[in-house]
Amino acid sequence: MNWMANWRTRSKLLFGFGVILVFFVVVVFTAYGTIVMAQNSQKKFLEEDYYAGQRLSEIRAFLNHQRVGLLQMLFMKDPAAKSRAIEDIREATRIIQEKLNEAFERVGQDALFGPKLLEVRAAYKEFAEIRDAQVIPLIERKKFSEAEKLVMGMQLARYGKLRDGLLEIFNAIEARAKENVGASNKSAAFSEKIFILTGIAAFLAAILLGFALERGIANPLRAISEAAETIAAGDFTVKMPPHERRDEIGTLSRTFKTMVENLRVVTQQIKEGAGVLAASSGEILAATTQVASSATETATAVSQTTATVEEVKQTAQLSNQKAKHVSESAKKAVEISQSGRKAVEESIGGMTRIREQMESIGESIMKLSEQSQAIGEIIASVGDLAEQSNLLSVNAAIEAAKAGEQGKGFAVVAQEVKALAEQSKQATAQVRTMLGEIQKATSAVVLSAEQGSKAVELGMRQVTQSGESIRALSESVADAALAATQIAASSQQQFVGVDQVASAMESIKQASTQNAAGTKQVETAAQNLARLGSNLKQLVERFRV
Amino acid sequence: MDDKTKNILKRRAAALARPQVEPRPASEFVETLEFRLGAERFAVETSFVREVYPLKEVTPLPGTPDFILGAMNVRGQVVTINDLARWLELPESARTAGSKVLILRDGEMECGFLADEVVGMRAIACDELEETLPTLTGIRAECLKGVTRDRTVLLDAGKVLASPKLIIGGKQ
Repeated sequence: MNWMANWRTRSKLLFGFGVILVFFVVVVFTAYGTIVMAQNSQKKFLEEDYYAGQRLSEIRAFLNHQRVGLLQMLFMKDPAAKSRAIEDIREATRIIQEKLNEAFERVGQDALFGPKLLEVRAAYKEFAEIRDAQVIPLIERKKFSEAEKLVMGMQLARYGKLRDGLLEIFNAIEARAKENVGASNKSAAFSEKIFILTGIAAFLAAILLGFALERGIANPLRAISEAAETIAAGDFTVKMPPHERRDEIGTLSRTFKTMVENLRVVTQQIKEGAGVLAASSGEILAATTQVASSATETATAVSQTTATVEEVKQTAQLSNQKAKHVSESAKKAVEISQSGRKAVEESIGGMTRIREQMESIGESIMKLSEQSQAIGEIIASVGDLAEQSNLLSVNAAIEAAKAGEQGKGFAVVAQEVKALAEQSKQATAQVRTMLGEIQKATSAVVLSAEQGSKAVELGMRQVTQSGESIRALSESVADAALAATQIAASSQQQFVGVDQVASAMESIKQASTQNAAGTKQVETAAQNLARLGSNLKQLVERFRV
Repeated sequence: MDDKTKNILKRRAAALARPQVEPRPASEFVETLEFRLGAERFAVETSFVREVYPLKEVTPLPGTPDFILGAMNVRGQVVTINDLARWLELPESARTAGSKVLILRDGEMECGFLADEVVGMRAIACDELEETLPTLTGIRAECLKGVTRDRTVLLDAGKVLASPKLIIGGKQ
């Protein structure tokens, strides 16, 4: 059976079923032929022979009825019943002729009883003409004896001939039906033989094909399934038998081999991957642990931040109150700055008066200085006089000394004059010193007065400036008051905002706590993952590649 | 009147009391005119002093030595004014309002000398005078007559006036 090895499985199956089908077709055609033959013979029998036989038997019945009617007429007295019987006979004659025509139509061409039927028709025609032309007028003319002679003589012979002809046809039909049944039985027996032979041949062919399919398909599949069992046990080192076949089994074997190769490579890679996964999951676990601790720290930090924000909120509340306070203070400051403006204007007036006073003081001091200058000149001339007196006394003393003893008294006078001159010199010196001091003081006063007037001037300017400054200040304070009011409003908004921030922080805190819990779960998951990685590694270790 | 007041009055009396001028023999004393020149005190014999005159306008004389300040009008008489400090090679004295001119005379020679201040008459005992310092040389050594105990220098006016430097003529 190796010649089937390279066929496709479809071809093999088609071949096997084709063989069986051929036997089946043979059986079917045989049966069909037999059945059609039987049907045709039955149909022909029914439509031709049986139909014709039926008509003929009816004709016989009407013939008998006519005969009886005619015979009865011979004994009838009543003319009405007689005419009625004549009508009846005529009606029967018409029906008989009709039936004869029908039967002739069906089997007139038949070689076996066509001519016979023609004879019968011609005989009846003759019989009917004689009856109508001779018998019935005799009866009508009450010549019953003549009529009786005619009816019982010639007409009876004709009637017997007619009846024999019909019977002959009946017998021919029956003989042919019997012949047909025998032919059908023969055909059925032949068919039976053919069925038995075909059945045996099909059975043998089926056994042979089963054996061939078993060898061509099931055996290689078993080898492959054994290899698959080995692979299922985790051993990828299995050797596949070489198959050079070109059918699906060969393709399956080669594909299976390639698949095992691929599986081996894939398992190798999975093994390496499992190792990487185990290591990576270990690292992930470590990282996740760190993340978990970080999340806990973050949660703590967020709690602290929340506390801080709460403090900020309180501070904001405080600053809000302060801002309101500042706003009120700024309004007061506006009033105060306005009164300060008035005060500065008044002080400008005061400074003007002080400047006038300072100017008059300066003039007085200038006069005093000039007068002290004159006093100084007077004192200088007095000092000069004293000096001259001193010189005079010295010269007098010199002269006295020159005069010798007589000049002694004059020397004493000169001495006295010298002493007076000294005293007046000292006095003038004292006066000069005092005057110098006075002059210094006056100068200082003049300077002071000038400085004072300058200071007053400066003060005036400063007061004017400060007036402008205070004006500007009051405007600024007004602006500041406005700003403080706005600040108070802003502070209120800020407080609201900080309140919202605090609630948001609270939410963040909760989220952070949940986050920490979630990170714990992630950590657990990472532990599971690490366990899974090691399990996978152990699992893959079982595979031999 | 308490003791304190008494003491004050006594002290004033003591201050105001004039010392008794004791008569001294004429031969033993030299009548001098004492003056100050810078920080030093000098004296000249009154016999050479014509008069003391306040320093007034001095007209500078061109072509004269630097110790001659100029000429001055003294009651219609033209007197040459010398700077004695420069003459004696002392630091130059500042001329002030109190500066005086000593007009010395010896015979025909009459010349004015600038003094910072005239102290007054003083009688110097001859035995009080000491010889001039040996360290002094030149003009100072020539013009000095002696030094008193209180370091007043007695100038020899005669020598000063006789000094040829004062004669200004065609030679110089």
